[in-house]
Amino acid sequence: MLEIKDLKVAYNGMGVLNGVDLSLAKGEVLAVIGESGAGKTTLGLSIMGLLDGCSGKILLDGRNILTLGEEEHRKIRGKDMAMVFQNVEDALDPVYKISDQIEEAILVHEGDAAAQKVIDLLRSVGLPAEKGASHPHELSGGEKQRVLIAMALANDPQVLILDEPTASLDAITKAKMIKLLKEVARKKIVLVATHDIPTATKLTDRMAVLYAGRIVEMGQTADLVEIPRHPYTRGLLRSSLNMTTTKDLQGIPGRMVHGIKGCPFHLRCTQRIGRCAHEVPVLEDVGGRQIACHRGGIVPLLEVNDLKRRFGSVRAVDGVSFTLYEGETLALVGESGSGKTTLAKMVIGLIEPDGGEVRLEGDAVGRRTKEFYERVQMIYQNPKESISHRMNVLEAVEEPLVVQNAGCGKLERAKVVLEDVELPGDGPFLKKYPHQLSGGEAQRVAIARALILGPKLLVADEPTSALDASVQAKILKLLLNLQERRGLTMLFITHDIALARKVSDRMAVMLDGKIIEEGPTNEVITSPVHRYTRRLIETAPDLSNELASF
Amino acid sequence: MHVDYWKEVTGSNLGKTGLIIIGLITALAVSAPLLTPYDPHEKTNTEAFSTPSKDHWLGTNDVRQDIWTRLLYGARTSLAVGFGVAVLSTFLSVLIGGTAAIFGGAYDRLWMRVVDAIIAVPSVIVIILVATYLRPNAALIILLLSLLNWPGGARIIRAQTLSLKERMHVSAARTFGASWSHILLRHIIPDLGPILIAMMIQDARRAVFMEAGLSFLGISDPSMISWGKMMQFARAYIYLDVWMWWLLPAGVALSLTLIGLSLTGFSLETGLDPRLREEKNSAGSR
Amino acid sequence: MHNAQTRCPGEPDMGWDRSKVSTRIAQAMRHTTFFANYAIALFIILTLNFVLPRLMPGDPLLAIYGEEALVVMTPQLEAELIQRFSLDQSMCEQFVAYLLALLHGDLGYSYYYNEQVLDVITAFLPWTLLLAGSALIISTLIGLALGIESGYRRGKTLDKTLLSGLMFLNGFPDFFVGILLLLVFGVGLGLVPLSGGLTPYSDLTGLALAGDILYHLVTPLTALVLVWITSTYLLTRNTMITTLKEGFILTARAKGCGRWRIKYRHAGRNSLLPVVTSTGLHLPHVITGALFIEIVFAYPGAGTLLYNSLLTRDYPLIQGILLLVTIAVLAVNLLVDLLYHKLDPRVNHAR
Repeated sequence: MLEIKDLKVAYNGMGVLNGVDLSLAKGEVLAVIGESGAGKTTLGLSIMGLLDGCSGKILLDGRNILTLGEEEHRKIRGKDMAMVFQNVEDALDPVYKISDQIEEAILVHEGDAAAQKVIDLLRSVGLPAEKGASHPHELSGGEKQRVLIAMALANDPQVLILDEPTASLDAITKAKMIKLLKEVARKKIVLVATHDIPTATKLTDRMAVLYAGRIVEMGQTADLVEIPRHPYTRGLLRSSLNMTTTKDLQGIPGRMVHGIKGCPFHLRCTQRIGRCAHEVPVLEDVGGRQIACHRGGIVPLLEVNDLKRRFGSVRAVDGVSFTLYEGETLALVGESGSGKTTLAKMVIGLIEPDGGEVRLEGDAVGRRTKEFYERVQMIYQNPKESISHRMNVLEAVEEPLVVQNAGCGKLERAKVVLEDVELPGDGPFLKKYPHQLSGGEAQRVAIARALILGPKLLVADEPTSALDASVQAKILKLLLNLQERRGLTMLFITHDIALARKVSDRMAVMLDGKIIEEGPTNEVITSPVHRYTRRLIETAPDLSNELASF
Repeated sequence: MHVDYWKEVTGSNLGKTGLIIIGLITALAVSAPLLTPYDPHEKTNTEAFSTPSKDHWLGTNDVRQDIWTRLLYGARTSLAVGFGVAVLSTFLSVLIGGTAAIFGGAYDRLWMRVVDAIIAVPSVIVIILVATYLRPNAALIILLLSLLNWPGGARIIRAQTLSLKERMHVSAARTFGASWSHILLRHIIPDLGPILIAMMIQDARRAVFMEAGLSFLGISDPSMISWGKMMQFARAYIYLDVWMWWLLPAGVALSLTLIGLSLTGFSLETGLDPRLREEKNSAGSR
Repeated sequence: MHNAQTRCPGEPDMGWDRSKVSTRIAQAMRHTTFFANYAIALFIILTLNFVLPRLMPGDPLLAIYGEEALVVMTPQLEAELIQRFSLDQSMCEQFVAYLLALLHGDLGYSYYYNEQVLDVITAFLPWTLLLAGSALIISTLIGLALGIESGYRRGKTLDKTLLSGLMFLNGFPDFFVGILLLLVFGVGLGLVPLSGGLTPYSDLTGLALAGDILYHLVTPLTALVLVWITSTYLLTRNTMITTLKEGFILTARAKGCGRWRIKYRHAGRNSLLPVVTSTGLHLPHVITGALFIEIVFAYPGAGTLLYNSLLTRDYPLIQGILLLVTIAVLAVNLLVDLLYHKLDPRVNHAR
């Protein structure tokens, strides 16, 4: 049992680890995920006692090893705990044979160094006995990595720390290494520090996400990767390259900085509140997941519960419920008549529902007030119609401010949002009328207008179906950028599942007023449950040469 | 990696000490006529082996010359030889090594064979051999030492130039059409500079030592004023007390010069090697 | 990686490993150029040795033997020497005669000692070997140990003290160190003899002899060790500093290796390589060191011999000593090169 309590490590007055709490039991493999500078290697090194400047407690079977003297530490290093380092290139002494170096690991702990034992160790990592007679420079990267693992295993340690075990390996060797490590990890406490999320997914049971020296989220690996609940974890997953990514890659604005006051992530977080700048959030259990966030993780922004609406005998929306989380895009996919537009209008308040409720940030929404419109806005399918043909660009974009009696500064604010949507903010352009703009420009003006009040939620009803393909691509990219920069949450309504796939994190499929399937986009696409969904996917546009299977 | 070498040297205590010593000795050598009324070859009226007095700060030697004067002028010899060899040898090294690296091909191969051949020859032997016959004076010593010394530097310069040639900022310059002279001036020589200085300091140090050694052995020009020569003569009279103000000052002066050069060279070389520079706390320190 | 069968499809199996063969050929070529350099160097020295005296204007015999010798020489000896060295024949034939004589081990005749040069040298050589040899071993060992400890504790008190101390010591030229030691311990305190390898006319044997030799050896040995320590120390120290930053040191610490093991078995062993390779570069310093110390202490070795022959202008003796030293230097360089291949396992494999 390895318990780490409030571990703090500082280099030259700069905190690298700022209070880490972890506990691992035998047989568990924990991944510590983080980007460079987060402190993963420092964590490993401090557990091994190879660093100065550590405070807190590290309890190995109840014994605080952080306070051990150098000689006592040396006795457990390599024996009860072992670490395999990241940089494989010069991790082995160039002048001694491999077998000598493995033997040394045993000898320094007064073990019985039989040649047979060395051979067994080599075999256990998949290397033939003859390799023992070679020198490090004769081995490939993967082989060196295996030797390091063999050395770490030599005394059958309780705790094994692996620092980026597959970093410099090619894909095939990586797969072999993962298989080997899984074998090796049985009956040990294993900590894997890495930035490679796909590998961590294959290798580990639990995952902890490290940001600026603190753990921000921790939970079962499979769950965490599928449904990340901390804004940083979600951002990290969105920027990872892997075969399940359907939506385009998105980065996280800003960069990691150590030593800021309050929550380490708050400057880059799109759902921050006042408290985040002053207090450090504590890692707490929230529904089976450990999250360090004052808002309890990613907050649900919009909740729709059992919404109903009839037009005469037609049940346009027949008991629809879903939750839209802050900072994500939910695509509502359905053919015309499925009720998606009615649903959107009920959300924004243009139509009253017959039953059910809409909640925004937890509060039930009745009549739509000024505050509501400051938080939720909508963009429509046909931009030239959604803007009055009598208003020029400036008037159109300013209109929400005028309506809300915003006072002075309207022009500046208009220019800011125009810049956000990549339109010129100069005189001549501001005077143009909708019929003088291209489709793409008009839609951008509409988006600018929607953004001027600074909403959190954008409802987009088929925003690109009236536009040419090349323009559509640019508008979509714009929307994604806005989401990345401003943390916009989007309810994206479309009939085009291929489009939905490209823009959304989650997808809900509507048919006849009901949501028949809902889930993370790549899951819905790759393993659709409902027949209708499958039909939609099969008939979606496909540029490959294969004949569609009927 | 950008390093301010001057700061590296003046920053370290060793470097500072070295520079101060060299500065001091140079100042003394340059202002020699101001610091003594005698001519170094002049046989004064005081008796031989006289003890230090206000007329003769270090007394007189066996032929009634003022020791202090000879000490000061001896500094000129040592510094001249050191400086001369440093400059000449480095010049040759850069010329041959640099052009070999830039032009490559048969030219490079030819010169490198020459370099290898000369390096294989133990220069000390040749110097002693030649000096025995020629009894060289300062100028000839400079020439001799430089001729035997330049190949070592040429190898280093060639290696450095080759690696500098491949640097990305040089490739970038070539893509905007820069000529080789531009590249040499703006990209290669500035980076080469500190290495050249380090080399020159080492050359100077070796040269000063060799000159003193040759003079001590008695195989240099007898009319040259040299600390080594002073020590050679003084040694014969070791049974008299005169060694205290004849042998010792010469030896100390020589040692100081060498120490000064060593310290300066060492601190510069430490600054040059990125791995040796003082680093802040790194993992694995306990 | 290496030794893999590299064969083009369709080519018959010649029964041998092609890559091994090409490696061998490349190695052989490298060895020949390697030896060639040394051969050339040797040739240059021989030529210099031959040419220099003959460049002097005037009588070659005069140039070779010097004026003093000629005065002493009898006409018969003169005639014999002229005939032996073919001095009345053309340059080329003289050169050939010179080389042939060398091959026979005939290095000339020392007029001062009235013996064959080779015999004179072999009488003095053992003392040099004793002094220089032991000094070399002791200074290397101490230099290595101090360098390792200093490098390990870089920046701390021990390192700073050792570094400044040894750099200071390094500034003193070899002969001055010797003189100082002699003055302090010999003249000043009277603890040690002022010259010689043995107390003259003492006829000691056995243990007493050994004791006497040691008594005379102490001061010059100390002087030499002091002179030679610094370069080994500096190089070892600097190499230690860079080696300690390498990855495998961290691996060793993680394995649980103790301080001693890391310092010596890992860092120290790896730091040896540059020290060995630079031995060749330090040879000139070794030679001057041994030379000067012997002279200062009037120790009866090859150094003193050289000095005396310089004073007396015994040209054949001078040339003989220098030639032998050159050969020794070249031999040592060769040995070092070969040794390096054994020490560094990375070097053996063709890249």
